[in-house]
Amino acid sequence: MTEDWLSLQQKYWEQWTDLSRKALGAQAPATNPWETAMDQWWKAFAPATPDLSRTFMERMMEQGKMFFRMADTFTHNLPQFGGSATDGWSSLTKTLNDMQQSFMGGQEQGDQALHKMMAFWELPYDNWQRMMSSLSPIPGDLLRNMPHAPASTVDKVLSAPGLGYTREEQSQYQDLIRRSLDYQKALQEYMSFFSGMGMKSIQRMRATLERMQASDKVIDSARGLYDTWVGCCEEVYAEEVQSTEYARIHGHLVNAQMALKQRMSIMVDESLGAMNMPTRNELRTLQDRVQQVRRENKALRKELHGLQLQVAALGGQEPAATSPGLRPALAQSAPAPVKRTVVRKKPVTSTSADQ
Amino acid sequence: MMLPIDIRPDKLSEEMLDFSRKLGQGMENLLNAEKIDTGVTPREVVYREDKLTLFRYQAPEGVKRNPVPLLVVYALVNRPYMTDIQEDRSTIKGLLATGQDVYLIDWGYPDHADRALTIDDYLNGYLDNCIDFIRESHGLDAINILGICQGGAFSLCYTAMNPEKVKNLVTMVTPVDFQTPDNLLSAWVQHMDVDLAVDTMGNIPGEILNWTFLSLKPFSLTGQKYVNMVDVLDDPDKIKNFLRMEKWIFDSPDQAGETFRQFIKDFYQKNALINGGLVIGDQEVSLTNIGCPLLNIYALQDHLVPPDASRALAGRTGSKDYTELAFPGGHIGIYVSGKAQKEVTPAIGKWLNERS
Repeated sequence: MTEDWLSLQQKYWEQWTDLSRKALGAQAPATNPWETAMDQWWKAFAPATPDLSRTFMERMMEQGKMFFRMADTFTHNLPQFGGSATDGWSSLTKTLNDMQQSFMGGQEQGDQALHKMMAFWELPYDNWQRMMSSLSPIPGDLLRNMPHAPASTVDKVLSAPGLGYTREEQSQYQDLIRRSLDYQKALQEYMSFFSGMGMKSIQRMRATLERMQASDKVIDSARGLYDTWVGCCEEVYAEEVQSTEYARIHGHLVNAQMALKQRMSIMVDESLGAMNMPTRNELRTLQDRVQQVRRENKALRKELHGLQLQVAALGGQEPAATSPGLRPALAQSAPAPVKRTVVRKKPVTSTSADQ
Repeated sequence: MMLPIDIRPDKLSEEMLDFSRKLGQGMENLLNAEKIDTGVTPREVVYREDKLTLFRYQAPEGVKRNPVPLLVVYALVNRPYMTDIQEDRSTIKGLLATGQDVYLIDWGYPDHADRALTIDDYLNGYLDNCIDFIRESHGLDAINILGICQGGAFSLCYTAMNPEKVKNLVTMVTPVDFQTPDNLLSAWVQHMDVDLAVDTMGNIPGEILNWTFLSLKPFSLTGQKYVNMVDVLDDPDKIKNFLRMEKWIFDSPDQAGETFRQFIKDFYQKNALINGGLVIGDQEVSLTNIGCPLLNIYALQDHLVPPDASRALAGRTGSKDYTELAFPGGHIGIYVSGKAQKEVTPAIGKWLNERS
């Protein structure tokens, strides 16, 4: 299977190279057989792969596709043979402009390769989504694409007082909706901040390429291009996430998610209580009480052990080797204690004077 | 003037083919990868309490042993096998080679029954019990401590509360000033409602911590590193080392809720370790109570604990014997890089041997 796949790659790229040479700047085929073949090969292998290795391979493949896609995007408009540098810059500028359009949503239906490449900037969001999905029965991206209703309309509905026998329940559901909307708002604010960072990273990429041109430096591999792009993204990210604005957005996202989860937990607890089942709240009360008793018990055992040592010392007996308050796992073979007088010497390595 | 991008089609196809070949070979190597071990140096369990395990490492033959044992106190975040991750990259092994009698605390994986554990329970309970156990086993009043990262901050607090039980203290990549301007983690948690998080979740899941750490450098840590790895896929040993590290990164225990609450509020949000007002149990913690010799090691490219966060220890304790060691590397490189094996552990061993 591996050999088939490699041989398919070989054939495809030989043909493609040949075609490129002949066609002087011809574009790559619309569907990339390299990606397709890779996916098929992986589908065959994945079930037999251990979990950790599978995740690891999938990530490598995703990123591999990413950087070849990127090379393709940046190079397919370039005049490979005989074109002028001005034409080349126009192509690069067009590519960078398209990338910006993609961030602004203008490429939704357009260049799929470019659109997929931009997904790279979704890595931080993807991490959030995976993390939230692992903590909740609700998918992490549930509210991502839902339209955010105008606050005034929703507020009116949610502020209507509950009436009758079920007023408390009504009020809880209103609160649940309110918290869901706040989380959705926080999530959209977070993603919008990342889109802004994506735009800035393209500007950084443009500046980097200009600097490189001024100093006659050239990126001559897909990997080099990918690393430059990652460098630009990481630089912009590092600057932006240090801002007070980001700290606020980040805090709002976490707090809004916790607030939503808290309301859901309370409602689950009430359902459990109604079924005469132990609730999370009751368990926590028990946990607190047990911990307090254990704390006191341990302190008493330790105090008792100290007293036993004192009594043994008064009676001239050898104290027990280990504390009965403690639980040695195995018989000890500790070395006999050797007490030494400590002579303080100058530090071995010092980058600051003794304080 | 040349264009800054000049990727020739033939070179691109060659690069793609090479990538495919490496992935293909890597697949075979991955399938053959054995189970990932955690910790390589022989050791024995000497003490257990609840989920905590205290290990003592087997000393190599022919090395003169330091009579004062050394207890390694690792963070509650992540797992302590980072200090003994592989045969040729082991802080523990390096310390043993310098004659240290090494003990290490494995805090275990807290579950919901441990939610109410406080920092007081960890320090004046578990840690104190381990230290008493070692002191009694060796018949000593005080032992040496090596605190790592959060474990370093805890070791400082413990020493401040129990100065008579600590002979020498080494702190590694330890935050002391939790609000230096370059501390991203700190900036992010300032707006976090930690009470709401702990009240809601009980314990704080390891997944949240993973997400936070990966968010520090998301493109390098969740994208680029996998591309870099393709280059070494043909080497089974390197794959295994990578997988071992990968396991460690994602092997994040949940954090006991009450401990997390106090840690974030007092250390990160109030910066109480240096601003004052930190109370653990019924004791106020003051760094000036620390009088023992101190070796403070930090990493110059540390993105989790910036150097200034660690350097803030200088002048804040009562120690007359304070030494700093700056390591040119990152938060993880300080344990696992080849340079660390040559520079950091021998320096710790020498410093301790001169004072024991």
